[in-house]
Amino acid sequence: MLTAEQNEELTQVAAGTPMGELLRRYWYPVAFTRELEEFPVRPARLLGEDFAVFKTPRGRYGMLPEACPHRRASLTYGVVEADGLRCPYHGWLFGVDGSCLDQPAEREETNFRERVRAVAGSVQEMGGLVWAYIGPSPAPELPRFDVFVMDGVRDIGWTDLPCNFVQIMENAVDPHHTEWLHGRFFEFMARHQGFDAPASFGKKHVKVGFDAFEWGIIKRRVVEGASEEDDDWKIGHPLVFPYNMRVGGANIEQMQIRVPVDRTTTRFMLYTVHAPVGVEYPDQPSVPDYQIPVWDENGRHRVDYVEGQDMMAWVTQGPITDRTVEHLGRSDVGVTMLRRMFKEQMARVSRGEDPLGVIRSEHDRIDLPCEKNKFDAGGSFAIQFIDRASSRFSPQADALKKLHIKAHENGKAG
Amino acid sequence: MTAPRPGNGATAGGDVGRGWFPLDAERHRRDAPRYCPGCAAALSLADGGQGLVCEYWTGPDRVFVCFCGACGWFGDIVLAARVLGHEAAE
Repeated sequence: MLTAEQNEELTQVAAGTPMGELLRRYWYPVAFTRELEEFPVRPARLLGEDFAVFKTPRGRYGMLPEACPHRRASLTYGVVEADGLRCPYHGWLFGVDGSCLDQPAEREETNFRERVRAVAGSVQEMGGLVWAYIGPSPAPELPRFDVFVMDGVRDIGWTDLPCNFVQIMENAVDPHHTEWLHGRFFEFMARHQGFDAPASFGKKHVKVGFDAFEWGIIKRRVVEGASEEDDDWKIGHPLVFPYNMRVGGANIEQMQIRVPVDRTTTRFMLYTVHAPVGVEYPDQPSVPDYQIPVWDENGRHRVDYVEGQDMMAWVTQGPITDRTVEHLGRSDVGVTMLRRMFKEQMARVSRGEDPLGVIRSEHDRIDLPCEKNKFDAGGSFAIQFIDRASSRFSPQADALKKLHIKAHENGKAG
Repeated sequence: MTAPRPGNGATAGGDVGRGWFPLDAERHRRDAPRYCPGCAAALSLADGGQGLVCEYWTGPDRVFVCFCGACGWFGDIVLAARVLGHEAAE
């Protein structure tokens, strides 16, 4: 358990708070690339602040606070021009760096224009997502984690959840929940709703372990029937500090992204790359995105798939879970480790240092450790994953299954 | 991507009355270590410290995971129900 003050501090996202300042040292996805292809300006909300994100006809991306510095009209209705974004109300034009380039109704001889500046975010495109950084300059490098740049067939499931992002991140260092939430509970629901629950998720945990490393925390497990020589322990998979989790298995590679939109709203995204070996990948002119369901027709959580069960657990903890009345056990040591890591990194930022996971050197790709043989389930994990996890809602679910089956058959024939 | 709004007005612990666990929360708060074993700085925000104390239970023991924001010390402080020696080797 935590004190009320500690819980309050841990769950803040606003600028000027220790946690809000820490979170402003990282890049976040704020739009799908295809959205700005379809229309060049749109709203984005990040860390409790509202922005207009846009792409100029020359292909430059920008992000400005939503309210125009002139008289506060919304720049999300702005006119996108070659040099930047023009306010729809009186035509003030702002460049991607936030400088005011034009004030049509003001006299030319004044220097008013030079005294007005919007605080601009830095924006880049990578892997079908538009990424933004709204912290202090200079912006660090956008980390090119493996899933965002690797070859394969990709899609992005997403939804917005009415809860603070930290309780979602705590789930990422809680291996034991898997055998219950995605094991026993899955079987219970399957029995009552008439479907088959995947057996691999229900394996009992014999041992769990956590190691801090340069990108966050590596989570390890030994499940019944496996050993420390198996991937789940020897390699494990990481919580990528402060808001991602890298998972995968059976040639499905995924980053689970939890963007703190505001204090009680989290954008949950499942960025998935299907990369079976020995098959040709179809061209993808744009990365498909699809919304995953949270609720059923009765307003109850939809819990007939893996992430639906996770979302039920996260959201029912409350918008900001009350950690003053929780009872942690030894199986929650990963949770305590993550809270300590948040606290340590807040202290680094307050000393003027870069926190964990901020990278300033140019790079092509950052490979993260991630097990291949998930839950010791072998190749069948790929089909179980598509059938009983969020990928079943992907517009390309059937094609993906065929791709994995074809790769499997090619492998046997070869 | 647009998100529902607002959400920033909420405070932590809005559902504090839910369930029966609040009944013993005060006892746990009282028992938490208040000062760093390394540098004696206050640990809790309420005492003006910049550290973290997070309690978990293991068997009959209560373990406080501590981090000191002043000197960086971290470690576990255990309120042990019993003190046991190791068993003799066979």
